[in-house]
Order: sequence, then C-alpha cells, then structure tokens
Amino acid sequence: MTSYKLYKLIRHNACLQEERHPMLDKNRFMKLLMGFMWLYYAAILLFMGVGMAVGMKHSYNGVAAFHVFDGGLPCLLLVDFWCRFILQETPAQRAQPYALLPIRRSFLMHTYLIRSGLAWGNLYWWFLLVPFGLISIAVPLGWGAFIGWLFGWWLLCIANGFFYLFCRALILKHLAWVLLPVAIHGALLAIMFVPDKNMLDMPCTLLMYDFLQWKFLPFLCTGILIALLYLANFRLQTGMVHAEIGKKEDVKIKDTTRLNFLNRYGKLGEYLKLEVKQRMRNKTVRMSFLVGIGIMIMFSAIMYFSDVYDNSYMRSFICLYDYIILGMTTLVTIMCYEGNYIDGLMSRRESILQLLHAKYYFNVLLLFIPPVLMLPLMVIGKMSVWMNAGYFFFTAGVLYPLLFQMAAYNDNTLPMNAKITNKQGNTSQQILSMLVLFIPVGLERVVTLMLGEPWGYVLLALLGLAGIATHRYWIRNVYKRFMARRHKNMEGFRASRNS
Amino acid sequence: MEIKIKDLKKTFGEKVAVDVPELTIHSGELLGLVGNNGAGKSTLFRLILDLIKADCGSVRMAGKFKDSDIDVNVAETEDWKDWTGAFVDEGFLIDYLTPDEYFQFIARLTDTSDEQLQDFLARYRHFMAGELEGQKKLIRTLSAGNKQKVGIMAAMLLRPQVLILDEPFNFLDPSSQNAIKHLLQKYNEETGSTILVSSHNLQHTVDISTRIVLLEDGRIIHDINNKDRQAQTFLEDYFEINE
Repeated sequence: MTSYKLYKLIRHNACLQEERHPMLDKNRFMKLLMGFMWLYYAAILLFMGVGMAVGMKHSYNGVAAFHVFDGGLPCLLLVDFWCRFILQETPAQRAQPYALLPIRRSFLMHTYLIRSGLAWGNLYWWFLLVPFGLISIAVPLGWGAFIGWLFGWWLLCIANGFFYLFCRALILKHLAWVLLPVAIHGALLAIMFVPDKNMLDMPCTLLMYDFLQWKFLPFLCTGILIALLYLANFRLQTGMVHAEIGKKEDVKIKDTTRLNFLNRYGKLGEYLKLEVKQRMRNKTVRMSFLVGIGIMIMFSAIMYFSDVYDNSYMRSFICLYDYIILGMTTLVTIMCYEGNYIDGLMSRRESILQLLHAKYYFNVLLLFIPPVLMLPLMVIGKMSVWMNAGYFFFTAGVLYPLLFQMAAYNDNTLPMNAKITNKQGNTSQQILSMLVLFIPVGLERVVTLMLGEPWGYVLLALLGLAGIATHRYWIRNVYKRFMARRHKNMEGFRASRNS
Repeated sequence: MEIKIKDLKKTFGEKVAVDVPELTIHSGELLGLVGNNGAGKSTLFRLILDLIKADCGSVRMAGKFKDSDIDVNVAETEDWKDWTGAFVDEGFLIDYLTPDEYFQFIARLTDTSDEQLQDFLARYRHFMAGELEGQKKLIRTLSAGNKQKVGIMAAMLLRPQVLILDEPFNFLDPSSQNAIKHLLQKYNEETGSTILVSSHNLQHTVDISTRIVLLEDGRIIHDINNKDRQAQTFLEDYFEINE
C-alpha cells in the first residue's frame, strides 16, 4: 500500500471514529446539541470580532484597531491553549490502536501530527479574526495585508497547538508537568499585567504588523518554531506509544491496606473499601482525585496571598468550587468506572444499592477536606464560616443527589488505569458539571441580595440538610431507576468497555 | 434448584442469538452446553443471569432454598442471586483487588464467615497451585489462566445451588483443567447443585456432564442424556472430529 493510500485510510478511520463514537452514535440529541454549541460559540466570536473592530476604531485615539487587538495576542493564545484540553486528543492517543499493526510508527506519528497541525480546529478563531480583520485591516490596508495578518495568526495557532500537544503528552506521563504551561503562562501574564505598562504589547504588535506586511523574517521564525515543536512532539509522542505498549505494571503492589476498621459496617464497609482502593490503585481515578485536591490548594493559596478574587461573587464561587470539585470529577461519571466489572456487581443482590450508599458516604467524608484547606481563609476573614457551612451541606444534600442521578443514565465504561486514553465524559456529563457549578452561586446571590449576608448560606444549608436527611430515600430511588434501565446500561458498558 | 426456560428469544439485529421454546434443567443436573462459535452459549447464560434483556420469554428458577419453596422469574426479582454463582468473563472481576481481597469481598457479600472462607481456600489450594493465595498481585496483573481460576472460585464461594460457568477450561493448563473437572463433579455430587458449563472442549464436557445440549444458531438441536457418556460418539460425529 502506498503512503498516500495509507494516509487516506487512517484519515477515513479517524472520521469513522468520530462519527461512531459510542456516545454520539446512539444519541441524536447529543449530536444536535454539539452542533448547536459549535454554531453558538462561532456566532459569539463573530459578534465579538465585529464589535471589537468597530469599538476599537473609535476608542483609541490615533492607534489602529488591529494594533490594539494584536497587543492582546498572548491572551488569545492562552485561551486557545487551555480550551484544547477539552477538545483535542494527542497523536499518541490516536495512534495507539495502530501501534501493533504493520505500519511504520514514524509514518503514523507524522500522519497524526500533520493532521493536528492542519486541523480545522486551528481555524476556529477565524470566526473572530475574519470579521475583525475585514473591517479593521482589509478596508484601510487592502486584501494582501489582511491575508498576511490572518496567515500569521493561523501559524501562531498551529505553533500553540503543537505546544499544547507537547505539554499534554508530558502531563499524561506525570501530572506535575502541568506546572510547565502554568509557569510559562503565569510568567506571560505577569509581564503583561504586573508592571504599569504591558511589556508584551509592543513586541506583539510589531510581530503581527510584520505579518501584515508579509515580511519574511517573522514567517521564517514562526516556521522554525513550528518545526522545532513538531520534532519535539514527534520524539515524545512516539516514545509514549512505545511505553504504553510495552508497559509492565509493577506486579507486586506495595499497599495491601486491609482497612479493617471498615469491617464493622458489613457489606457497606466492603463497598467503602472498594471506593478507597479504586482511587489508590488506578492511575486515571487517582489522577482525577489529585487534580481536584491540587485545584483546591491552588485556589485557597491564590485567595490567601492575593486579592485577585476579593469580591463576594468570586469568593462564593471558589468556596463552592472547592466543595464540589472532588465530587464533580468522580460523580458526574458515576458508575462509568464500575462499567469495567458491572457483570460481577449485577450478579450480587442489591450490590448497586450498597455501592451507591458507599459512594455517597465516601464523598460526604471527602467534604471535610475543603474546610481544612480553607481554614486559613476563614481565619483572615476572606471566607465566612456561614459560607462554608452553607456549601458543605448544600453539596452533600443537593448537589450530590443531582450528580447521583447520572448513575441511572451513565452507560459508558471509562478505563481506570490507562495513561493514554481518548475516552472522556460525554456532553451531558459536561453540562451537568456546569449546572452544579453555577446554580448554587446564583441561588445564594439572589437570596443574599434579597435578605442580606448570611441568609443565602442559611438557605443553602437548610436545603442541604433536607437532602442529607432523605438520602436513603433518594439513593433507593436512583437505584430503582438504575435497575429499570439495567439492561440498556449494561449493554452500553459492555460496548464501550472494549471499544 | 430447577431452571425452566420458556419461549426465550434474543436477536441482535437480524441474527437470532437464542431461540429456545422450552428447556428444563433439572435440579442436580450437570449440564454441558456445546456448539460452534456464535451458537449462542454465552448469550443463553447471560439471559439466565439477567445480564441481557430477552426479546420475549422467561427464565424461572424453582426449588427449595433455606427450607422455603421458591419459584422466581430472574428478570423480576434479585432473590435468585442468593443461590446462584457465575463466571462468564473478566467483566465479573474487580481487577484492582488482589485475589485474597476479592475472595474476602465476595465472602462478606455472601455472608460467608472468615472460617468458612479459610476452609474453602484450603479445599481449593491444589487448584490455586500457590499462585493466588497470599500474593501481593492485583488481579489485572495475573495471567489469563489465573484470572479464570479467581473467577471460577469466586463463583463457587457462596456454595451456590446454581453454578454457571462459561468456558471454564479456557486458558487453564492441563493440570488445572483436570482439577476443575474433578472439583465440579465433586461439588455436584456433594451438594446436588445444578451446574451449567459451556465449553468447546468436548472431551472435558463429556467427562463431567450428566446431560449435554447442543446449540447451533441459537437453537437447541440435540439434547442428549450423557449419564453413560453416550454423547461422546454423537458429538464426535457431529463436529467431524475423527474425519
């Protein structure tokens, strides 16, 4: 088979993979919703592009709108970088299924890297850039300048994409690598916002102006940057596929924690042990837990040492975020890890009911971590005890029940122990995550505006206490609905387990 | 415990996976299920275990359990899980536990005391061949054969009145295949339990089964009494083993 034919075949398979994703294949609504979201954000960018072109034209005396816009280049690239975590897989993730086939791995990796570079996703910002450029560049300076400027932006997006792929691959190797983009972006933001004058404004403006004028040097430099990032990715990602294929888990485990103190709780205790061991012994589950703890510490530290979040809305939001983050990362995909051994669970009487109870108690216990981390903030008065109590009880009694509803509907197995995985939560899970993040703060804000400071939190606490008091009832209700859908869910778990 | 299947049908698209108008597996029978790939053996087991939904028909279990007369439809209640043990594939194993932890987990769920568990492990020590007990290895790191052993033992741990094993001889070394044959026969004789075993290994199936059902395209095409191993010649002819 010629290289071109092979490339076409891989490309065809990649398209099929997207079309036949287990979650989209059987859910027409999800397909429509994703299409709608795509159009929605495109429309927002279009409006922003037009709005900024018109607004900047009149707001900055003597300075062209595109110069002002280009000064913010790092911000756009930062947003582009972090958005990619939701949407873009690494070539190593994509190439893994082919790794044992008689295809040269270097060819595979080149194919996926080139596809990543030329992906339509790198053009998504054009919804913002094209209307802006048409008004502020094409009209006064002509089409050549507009195309040069747009081409420059595209090259920077490609370089940014390759930098993301490099960081993402390192993060998959070890979570600590997240500090690399955090440090670089933190430094960029510091250079932009800490001094009185944005020190990156002029260099960015000049770079984009050179693109606009079709000067050779900036194109050459960007091309070299892309080539270097491409090569770095090629080496790193190829190595990762090798490592994943040849991986040998440590056969002997170090911890054989018996957790005997849980024996007194009988069958429930056994399921609690499962919850603990699931987090301790599976890389994917452990990483999501550690990321949650890391985010909590980061927010607490930022609030303690700076005044960035010193307004009542942000304090309230961060307090909620700290309480819900651990539950959100695991409960929104509740039962998805259990999909790996669902047949075994389903062959025991009421095991799912016991499991749901164990999950609830375990996650309530985790709620004691945030107040410990936020204690210094309560001591210095940046957060009130009422706020903490409100969100503690509201999370345990309202948000958890909301997240537990997913137990009846989730039917996609997630791998527990793979470093390289292209399986993420589905869109409905992501939407629910958004709901639990924003509804409580909105509710608290409305009540606080109407009744004053502690009453919003008092209401949250009361609602939460009601949910906690009735937890046996609503857990059984979730269990009954799970059992009613058990065949459909088990079919989904089995189908996605090996897909 | 008797298993009564009536008008049971399951299709996947156009393909008929199982179509059994009537089948009664009597209490104490050791039934061997044979058939070529895609015959519907695993699907039939999954239907009996309520792991997939039948298009129509029913699976009932009837008999005595703890001195009570019982007759239940497996799709309508979970009662049958108290007297049924099964191992179909790795989807039954919690692979981030060690074998010891997994046995303990199953023991606690089935109200088996620690002493009973130790007795059980002692009886199966030969079968485990020193590779499961006391090992600080997670199930996912075990060989396919050892995973198979863990699954089979966990299914037998609650001393079920109905035992269902899909391809129990797969992945096992010859010694372990012989060991499991003897264990199943002994268990059947001692407890009078109803045992269902599917296998591609005709010799082993004929050796242990009191009755053999031949399944093709989801349908039972022969139901053979094998008390005197009379199924052997028939099956060898059917599968053209000696040609």
